[in-house]
Amino acid sequence: MGRILIVDDTMFMRTLLKNILFSGGHDIVGEAADGAEAVARYQELKPDLVTMDIVMPKVNGIEALKAIKTADPGAKVIMCTAVGQEQMVKLAIKSGARGYIVKPFQAPKVLEEVKNVLSA
Amino acid sequence: MTMMKSVPIKVEHGGKWVPATMGIGEDRIHIGAPLDCEIPYRSMVDLEAKKNQVTIVAGPDAAEVYRIASVEKVLSVLKKFVITQCSAYRLNAFFMSPAIRGGVLVQDAHWEKGVITVMKTGIWFISQESQVCIPLGDVTGIELTRREIQEKDLDVVKIDHLIENEVVTSFVLCPKTTLQVLYNFLNEATQGSRYEGELDPLTGQVAMLVYSGMDSSSIENMLKLSHKDLDAIYEHLLATGFAEVIYIRKEIQLTTKGVRYISDAVKSSPNQ
Repeated sequence: MGRILIVDDTMFMRTLLKNILFSGGHDIVGEAADGAEAVARYQELKPDLVTMDIVMPKVNGIEALKAIKTADPGAKVIMCTAVGQEQMVKLAIKSGARGYIVKPFQAPKVLEEVKNVLSA
Repeated sequence: MTMMKSVPIKVEHGGKWVPATMGIGEDRIHIGAPLDCEIPYRSMVDLEAKKNQVTIVAGPDAAEVYRIASVEKVLSVLKKFVITQCSAYRLNAFFMSPAIRGGVLVQDAHWEKGVITVMKTGIWFISQESQVCIPLGDVTGIELTRREIQEKDLDVVKIDHLIENEVVTSFVLCPKTTLQVLYNFLNEATQGSRYEGELDPLTGQVAMLVYSGMDSSSIENMLKLSHKDLDAIYEHLLATGFAEVIYIRKEIQLTTKGVRYISDAVKSSPNQ
């Protein structure tokens, strides 16, 4: 089970992910609503894993991912975005993302992906 | 006709499964007694598969229905002949199935070269490695979109479908003109499951939470809804055909007998 930081600009998606991850026994250590907040919260909380939305105001998820990976190359980040933006996968993977989930998602698969990334 | 060695099968005859033999030839199959018939692949118009059974529909009015049960190896050979030779819309293409499962990218997903056959009830993908069927009734979305393949942005058809309540995405890649024909064909074939209206935001959120696997109690907590409010939204989703009831949850209160039991249990507990 991991300590997880959830990053998404919509409260609805953060709440949904929080419920899914909590039901899987994970500890939600924090939330952030944009990329800049995500980087600051990561440094403060040092979570085991981050779920990171891509399209967000101010600093987007890819930029936040790069900043987190620069500060901590071992950081485990799962990118999360809407259907139709799968082209972002390559960029995210190149930038160091460990996994990728596409909205809308289903709880069992999200938990499986989180488990895989945490145990890798 | 060159026939393979006859293989044992079970075939549905008069409402019962009976043992028989089947020969799989180059252009037809032969089913031995009690059916004793030959079915040319070109007369076949539909194929459905379920575990170790296949259903073949044949004849000019699709009036002949054959249900055959056998081991996977035999059915795999049979399906390959039917899919590649039956009377249906067919094209050579690359496909990736599944590419996304429940919103998570399938890590080892890869493009397979093969044949796609669109039959009356399903789309079949067949390659050297696999035989995949997407029943048209399970298709939840068809989209003509672009995807980066080997550093090129190419047109693909994206098919979302259900496999045991899990939403799965598959992709088809072929020349653009064929792709457009396939897209139009599938779009038309699955028109019945499309909803033209729009849900109000709250109902949409509830639908999204159900999709994600949340139960009623979690939805009530997340959206701060009363049981009654959520029930009304569920009724709307049921009426639009977006959802179906899987079970009815009961809310109960204890009777005198139940209250007495609890009172007695508390009294007799050594910790009290």
